[in-house]
Amino acid sequence: MTPALQVEGLGVAFGGIRAVDGVSFMAQRQAITTVIGPNGAGKSTLFNLISGQIPPHTGRVALDGVDRTGAPPHLMQRAGLGRSFQITNLFFELTVFENLQLAAQRLEPPRQMLRRIGHGEASLQRVGELVERFSLAAKLGELAGALSHGEQRRLEIAVALAAKPSVLLLDEPTQGMSHGDTADTARLIRDLSRDVTILLIEHDIGLVMDISDHIVVMHQGRMLAEGAPPEVRANPAVKAAYFGDASC
Amino acid sequence: MRSASSKDASAFLAFDRSGLAMRASHVLVVILVVAAFGFAAVGAALNDTFYLRLATEALIFGGFALSVDILLGYTGLLSLGHALYFGFGAYVSALVLKETPSFWAAMGAVLAATLVFGFITGLIANRVRGVYFALVTFGIAQVAAKAVYNTRALGASDGLIGIPIVPINLGFMTVMSNAPVAFFLFTLVFVILLYVAAAYLLDTSFGRILGALRVNEHRVPFLGYSTHRARLSIYVFAAIIAALSGALYPMLRGFVSPELMFFTTSGNAVITVVIGGVGTLAGALYGSVILTVLKSVIGTMTEHHLIVIGILFMAVVIFLPKGLMGVIRPRIARRLRGGAR
Ligand SMILES: Nc1ncnc2c1ncn2[C@@H]1O[C@H](COP(=O)(O)OP(=O)(O)OP(=O)(O)O)[C@@H](O)[C@H]1O
Ligand SMILES: [Mg+2]
Repeated sequence: MTPALQVEGLGVAFGGIRAVDGVSFMAQRQAITTVIGPNGAGKSTLFNLISGQIPPHTGRVALDGVDRTGAPPHLMQRAGLGRSFQITNLFFELTVFENLQLAAQRLEPPRQMLRRIGHGEASLQRVGELVERFSLAAKLGELAGALSHGEQRRLEIAVALAAKPSVLLLDEPTQGMSHGDTADTARLIRDLSRDVTILLIEHDIGLVMDISDHIVVMHQGRMLAEGAPPEVRANPAVKAAYFGDASC
Repeated sequence: MRSASSKDASAFLAFDRSGLAMRASHVLVVILVVAAFGFAAVGAALNDTFYLRLATEALIFGGFALSVDILLGYTGLLSLGHALYFGFGAYVSALVLKETPSFWAAMGAVLAATLVFGFITGLIANRVRGVYFALVTFGIAQVAAKAVYNTRALGASDGLIGIPIVPINLGFMTVMSNAPVAFFLFTLVFVILLYVAAAYLLDTSFGRILGALRVNEHRVPFLGYSTHRARLSIYVFAAIIAALSGALYPMLRGFVSPELMFFTTSGNAVITVVIGGVGTLAGALYGSVILTVLKSVIGTMTEHHLIVIGILFMAVVIFLPKGLMGVIRPRIARRLRGGAR
C-alpha cells in the first residue's frame, strides 16, 4: 500500500539559511508520525512545505502516491490535506459555528457554493459531529476570539479536521495547554488516528513517546534520525542533539 | 457517532451571526421601502418633481454604494476607484440609448460589457492587496476617466448629452423615464433587486468565504479556496452592481459626464457606506439617502456643503465608527436571534 504522505529530499533556504534540508520520510496510514526537534529545527517550515504554503526549492511531496510538489495550499487541501497552526489561526471575529461551517463546507457538492448555508446538510451535520467530539457545543454562538486558550486550540484542530482530510498536519496542538487539557488532547489525537493519517509536531516528549507510531527527529533543518519511539530514544545522536538540551 | 438531525441543523443557524445580521438588514430595507412608498404617495399628491427626482438619484447612488459595501464591508477591499464601473455603466447605457432608446438593450449591453471590463481591470487590481489595492484601483479609474475626458467621440469634458426619454417596457406596463413618480418607483424596485441579489450572494457558502477573507485571509487557502479567485469573482460582481446602477443615471438626468468616474464619485460612495454603516448593505442605501438630502438641503443654504459633509464624515468615524446601521442593526439581530431559538 502506498503511504498516505511521502516526502523526499524536501528542502528550502531563506537567504542562505537552510531551514529544511533534504528531509525524506513517509507517514503511514492510520498512524501517528511525530516530528520532533529543538526550536528552530525547521519543523514548522517542513509543514509549510508539505501544505503548499512555501514552494520547496528541492525535493517532492506525494499524497496518496500522487506527486503534489509545488501545489498551492487550496489544491493541497482538495487533495486531502488538512493542517493546524502553531500560532492559533482562526477567524476570531466569527462565531465558533461560523468557523466550523466555513471549514466544513468543502464537503458540499459544488452547487452548494451558490446556495444559502442553511441548505448545506453535509456541512451542518459535520459541524454537529465536531462540536461533540471537541466539546464545543456550549460555545457555538461565541466569537472564536472570546474563547479560552485551550478552547481555541481545540477549535484549531477541529477546523483543520472539518473537511475530512486523509492526512492531518498538527503543529504543536497542545502548545500552552494545561496538563489536564494536554492529556485530553493526546487521547483525542490517538482517537483521530484511527480514521486519518496524522503528522504531528510536539514538544512534550513524554506525550510523543506515548502516542507516536513513528518519530522523525530534526536538527538544524536536517533529519537526524527516524524510527519507532524506543529506537529514537536509544539513538546516541538524538540523545546528544535533542534530549541533551531539551531535558528541561 | 450520532449525526445531527435536521432539527439540530436549523438550530445551528441561531449561531450564524452573519446570517442573522443579514436578516436584520432585510428588516431595515423593508422599512426603507415602506417609507419610500409613502414618500412617493406624498410626492404624487403634491405633484412634486424636484424631490422625487432627487430621491431617484439617491437610490441610484445607493445602488452604487451597495457595490462599494460588498467590497469594503464584506470582503475587506477598499477601492478608491469604484466609480469607474458606475461611470462605465452610465456611458455604455448612454451610448446605447442614443442609438436606440431601449431600456433592455442598454441593460444587456451594460451587463455584458461590464463582465468583460470588470474581469480585465479586476485581474490588474487584484494582483495587489491592502493599501496597494486602494492605490491601483484609484489609478485605473483616474487613467480611464482622463481618457474619457479627452475622447471627442465620448463628448470629452462635456460628456454625452441629449439622451432621449426612455420607455421602459415591463410587459404589463411601460414606465417613462421622465415620469417622476413612476420612474422613482421603478428605480426603487430596481435597486432593491440589486440589494436582493447582493444579499443572497453574501449569504451563500461563497459569500462566507468573502467574510473569511476579510477576517483572516491567511487561513482561507487551507480551507480549500483560492483567495485570488474568490476576490476576483466578487470584484466583477461588485463592478456589475455598480454599472447597473450607473446605467439608470442617463435615463434620469439625460446626460453623462466624466465626473461620474472621478475620485469624488468614488470617495462619496465610500463616505456614504461609512456613514450608513460598513458591512450592513442596508447602510449603503440609508447613507445615500442621508447624504443626498444633506447635500441638497445644505446646498440651498451655503455653497460650502462639502465642508459640512466632511465634518459629518469625521464625526461619524469618531463617534459612530460602525455607522448608523452598525448601531441599529445589532439590536434587530438580537431580536431575530431570540426568535430563532
Ligand atoms: N518565512 C521565513 N523567512 C525566513 N526565515 C524563516 C521563515 N520561516 C522560518 N524561518 C527560519 O527557519 C528556521 C526554522 O524555523 P521553524 O519555524 O521551521 O522552526 P521550528 O522547528 O518550527 O521551531 P519551533 O519549535 O520554535 O516552532 C528558523 O531559523 C526560522 O527563523
Ligand atoms: Mg514551529
